[in-house]
Amino acid sequence: MFANQIGYYSLILGLLFSFLLCTIAIQDFNKVNKKLNENIIILTFLQLTFVIVSFFSLILSFINSDFSNETVFNNSHTTKPLFYKISGTWGNHEGSLLLWLLVLTLFIFLFLLKSNSQPKKYRILTLLFQQIIIIGFFLFVLTTSNPFNYLFPIPKEGLGLNPILQDPALAIHPPILYLGYVGASIIFSASLAAVAQNYISQEWAQHIKKWVLISWIFLSLGIMLGSIWAYYELGWGGFWFWDPVENVSLMPWLSLTALLHCIAVLERRATLTSWVVVLSITTFTLSMCGTFLVRSGLLNSVHTFANDPARGIFILIFLFVLIILSLGVFFIFHKDNNVNQNNFFWLSRETSILINNWFMMYFLSVVLIGTVYPIFLDVISSEKISVGPPFYHKLIAPFLIPFLLFMALGPRLKWIKSKIEKKYSIIIIFIISIILTFFIIKNLTTNILFYTLLLSAAFFLFFTTLKEFLTKKLNNSSQTIAHFGFSLLILSILFNGILSSEVITNMKIGEKFKFGKGEIFFKKIEERRESNFNSIIAFFEIKDLEGNVVELEPEIRVYNQPLMVTSEADIKTTLLEDKFIVMNLVKGNEYFNVRYQSKPFMVWIWISVFLLGLGGTIGLFKTRT
Amino acid sequence: MKIFKIFIILLLITNFSELKSEEKNDILKNKILKNIRCLICQGQSVYDSESEFASSIKLIVDRKINEGLKEEYIYEFLREKYGDWIVYDPQLNKNTYILWLLPLLLFLLGGAIMRKKIKI
Repeated sequence: MFANQIGYYSLILGLLFSFLLCTIAIQDFNKVNKKLNENIIILTFLQLTFVIVSFFSLILSFINSDFSNETVFNNSHTTKPLFYKISGTWGNHEGSLLLWLLVLTLFIFLFLLKSNSQPKKYRILTLLFQQIIIIGFFLFVLTTSNPFNYLFPIPKEGLGLNPILQDPALAIHPPILYLGYVGASIIFSASLAAVAQNYISQEWAQHIKKWVLISWIFLSLGIMLGSIWAYYELGWGGFWFWDPVENVSLMPWLSLTALLHCIAVLERRATLTSWVVVLSITTFTLSMCGTFLVRSGLLNSVHTFANDPARGIFILIFLFVLIILSLGVFFIFHKDNNVNQNNFFWLSRETSILINNWFMMYFLSVVLIGTVYPIFLDVISSEKISVGPPFYHKLIAPFLIPFLLFMALGPRLKWIKSKIEKKYSIIIIFIISIILTFFIIKNLTTNILFYTLLLSAAFFLFFTTLKEFLTKKLNNSSQTIAHFGFSLLILSILFNGILSSEVITNMKIGEKFKFGKGEIFFKKIEERRESNFNSIIAFFEIKDLEGNVVELEPEIRVYNQPLMVTSEADIKTTLLEDKFIVMNLVKGNEYFNVRYQSKPFMVWIWISVFLLGLGGTIGLFKTRT
Repeated sequence: MKIFKIFIILLLITNFSELKSEEKNDILKNKILKNIRCLICQGQSVYDSESEFASSIKLIVDRKINEGLKEEYIYEFLREKYGDWIVYDPQLNKNTYILWLLPLLLFLLGGAIMRKKIKI
């Protein structure tokens, strides 16, 4: 109860500090001194501290199961394990907004701390723009989504957390994702400040690149954690469904990836300034749009916590304010001062990066239109359509073929001007890729031409990047590792898609089921009791054609708070394939519905995303000479 | 002896292809089920859902496949009965021209803008 009040008043103090900071910053802006007023950094630190205090008091209320707090009452229960009590803090609308605030204030503090060598006025403007976002979110939290609402009489027991959210991957998914998703705010603020100061330059590119990389790494990992969770928790063995809420996290990722490449051009050639700014603004705007779509209840998913129209309207208005503000700053202050070097030679690194951006923007437009178009159509003509995986596959997959080829060739080109060299190694790699693909595809009854092209392109990227490792020409190791990771990602997704197989059948205890690639034996079931659920554990033996036996133990859980039945898959992972089994109750008889899948190269999907992140991390710590 | 060999091979091939067609049906069925929305669930396909609605749709699709209906006709059948909302693969019609063509137009536009930046 005490923690509630501390949390609430810390938030109000945090908001007051925003105004204080703005006043001091504006005063300091007009002073002649070269250095930033030290008090500003101290004040941002205090603001961050207040948000942390507020955040920890909410965590404390969750740990103590203090049901006088409405958020705790709605999302927790005394029988939940401590770990999930804590992760429940951000597993709801109010708490996750506190997390937003935490990341917003953390990033501006770190930014001021790390930007000593930058011009004073630029730093102050960045702070001001960031404070506008922070004030908006403080007001949003305090007016529509107060996490510290008081309940009286105090309920004896809470309503509990949705069982499918009680999961380790999902417990850390929001914080990691938000570091990227909300971290993009600092890129937004800094680029607006740089525009206003006419400071979009090579030095600026070098300095902002680190922040782009940080956001990008966390966003990549955050998306992957969500995907891993969907894979084993939602029970259907897929890892990406093109669900609107997944798309909403993918869109800033695509624009951030484009920005990451584009920044390199700005850094080397001092050009593409407008485009860098547009991408910086777009990335955070997409983050905000995503928040609006998800929190307004326009989209239905596990991420839709509560449908309150007031919240949607607040975010929408705030979103418009930010867009108008950024467009205003852009059109009033931006000067495109690189007229003389406007053109790129067609065979150069710059051109290849432009091509990357071209494709990235196309992928972004597909995802964006696919996500919002059904909503618009519904509003305008009240006709409902569903846009799902087939749409995205049709529009994205064919474009991946040239994209992968450019991705393999681009980094080999020189800046400014490259010559066509007869590189036999490239031609040999290309031929090897095609032959290898042909032998793999030959035995499969799929769309042969299309898969041959796509797979060859992916193999081509795979081998060209691999060759760079082997010949030790690692002048740009972060790029090579990231591109290698991406080729591995596409390859493992493709092979996973083509080679996955599944068996769906109804079985009872003691029964054996033979299928094309082996035999499933349903040995027995056991019951188990935990504090927050009871479960039925089934014991299966899967025997393949060579006689190897794997034991799998899927569960059916009956959670008590809220009352809900979930199926927990059991997965045996090896480097070559995942064996995945999940079962459901069949109403009214002794049979269980059993779904067994073998999913080749599944683990490589996660490994390749880690490689992407590793590439980014190396880029972060590398100082270019 | 030769005839015996051929006989065995033939037997194997027919056996093999028979198994294949059954497997093919299963693969087709799962593919279709993944492309159909469970109308009473929250963002789940029929394939992923255990609801009664999903079960009945599964039976319908099963029957249609056994009747020898092609994939497109099954979607068509479901569209007529439940509306466009049920299939995840939107058709190209007056409602969806923008959906399908706008990204491609933007791609061309992007290409044109980029072309201006590049000199040969």
